[in-house]
Amino acid sequence: MLCDKCKKRQAIIYYTEIINGIKKEQHLCEECAAKYADFELGLSKANKELSLGGLLSSILGNYSASNPTVKEDELEAVIQCERCGMTYDAFLQGGKFGCAECYTSFGKQLEKSFRQIHGATSHIGKRPKGFVSQTDKIINDLSEIDRLSIRLQDAIEKEEFDQAVCLRDQIRALKAKEESHNV
Amino acid sequence: MSKWYEMQGESSDVVFASRVRLSRNMDKYLFSKKMTDSDAVQLVEEVLYTFKDYSEEAQTYQRCNLSELNEIEKLSMVERQILTKDLATKKQCSGLVVSEDESSSVMINGEDHLKIQSLVGGMDMKQAIQKVNSMDDYASELLGISFSEKYGYLTSSPADAGTGMKASYLLFLPALAGAGKMKRLAEEVTKYGVTLQGLYTEGTESNGNLFQISNQKTMGMTEEDIINNLDNIALQVVKQERKRREYVLANNYDEIEDQVYRSYGVLKYAKQINSKDALTLLSQVKFGADTDIIGFQIPFNIYNAMIVCQPYSLQCQKGKYVGSKVRDKLRAEYLNHTLPELET
Repeated sequence: MLCDKCKKRQAIIYYTEIINGIKKEQHLCEECAAKYADFELGLSKANKELSLGGLLSSILGNYSASNPTVKEDELEAVIQCERCGMTYDAFLQGGKFGCAECYTSFGKQLEKSFRQIHGATSHIGKRPKGFVSQTDKIINDLSEIDRLSIRLQDAIEKEEFDQAVCLRDQIRALKAKEESHNV
Repeated sequence: MSKWYEMQGESSDVVFASRVRLSRNMDKYLFSKKMTDSDAVQLVEEVLYTFKDYSEEAQTYQRCNLSELNEIEKLSMVERQILTKDLATKKQCSGLVVSEDESSSVMINGEDHLKIQSLVGGMDMKQAIQKVNSMDDYASELLGISFSEKYGYLTSSPADAGTGMKASYLLFLPALAGAGKMKRLAEEVTKYGVTLQGLYTEGTESNGNLFQISNQKTMGMTEEDIINNLDNIALQVVKQERKRREYVLANNYDEIEDQVYRSYGVLKYAKQINSKDALTLLSQVKFGADTDIIGFQIPFNIYNAMIVCQPYSLQCQKGKYVGSKVRDKLRAEYLNHTLPELET
């Protein structure tokens, strides 16, 4: 097959890309591929070998630039952090968040990244001194009896029966006190 | 007061130091990538001010704005492990809080707003954790640290999120490195979520046979589990290194003995020596001292000498900028004087 660009030399690089269901194929000879990809290092006179990774990434860059429609479609669906303006794309490229809010803004997309990096998607270690979690907050808003009941349940699950007996007695005492008040 | 690297710690034949770094950010400011110059100045001022009353073990803490220091001072801090290279070369305003013995420090406005670090000589992660936690708790109480129930400590890089903790052991591995085993070992430990790399160079090539081994993952494990895992691997490496040393000594004693004495001779009497050679020779002398091939008349901490021989630390001690030729002479002079006489 002849090269798509110069139509003279034999094409040795076949490159296929599918974006949004649109397939685009390129067949290039070594020289045109180098020119097309703005390839500086691989095809110097001393070194006639092309590095495929470098070539692909520069082709990708050129390809989307020459296809403005594709770019606009992507822009519409862009995910951006409201606080710092960091886009999800920019985050992927630089690998750094712009602010603490980015974690919420990119929420769903992040799960996969975290699983890849850490093999986990949530933290189980240390908390800052004085940090009150959402569950703790809810528990704090409950009445004393409800709070003790939750702790009782927890103690039973953990088979800490001495603790459970103690909690049960506390709940009974509180209930008795409440009833006597109501009377 | 002695610096942390001047003291002899547990398992110091192989473990140079234990280090913990915590990455923390404040809710109030955007992360490094989006940080404006004026916010950077404010961040540094706020953290420096907050730490003015911090004290631990009755030590005084130096607080400094890094833009007021010259390049030599900053790069010598990199060699002494109290500053990261990124921070030393950063253009934006940055700061440092550091204890007198340089074992506790807080780097301000690097990749994260705060990098809280502790360094303890020898194998003593427990003490390192204790020190770092004390500073972390202090910062958490006063600075409004970014934390989410789900993702833990929010850091600028997703690779640090969760605990935000990097724990490392700095290791001296002459026998394993001499046997050309570092590359394979580095590949092997990654399977267990641990990275092994050279301390004074990138990758597995290292000057002076100094390496660091650190945890890779920071999320989904408690700090304790991370340390336990790292400890297990580090202890394995220590064991392998000691075994290899025994093997080498049993098979090549005469050759090694000769090498150790030659290295000592060069360090004691050479008139100029570059830092790479100094580190290599010191590493051989240390190997000789640890395996009782040679003994010194007075105690001598070779790790300390290794740090002092680094190019910027040397210039810093002399208090002036000097070219490499002069440095090589200064280094030789220092080593000639510091290296104690041998026991007979």
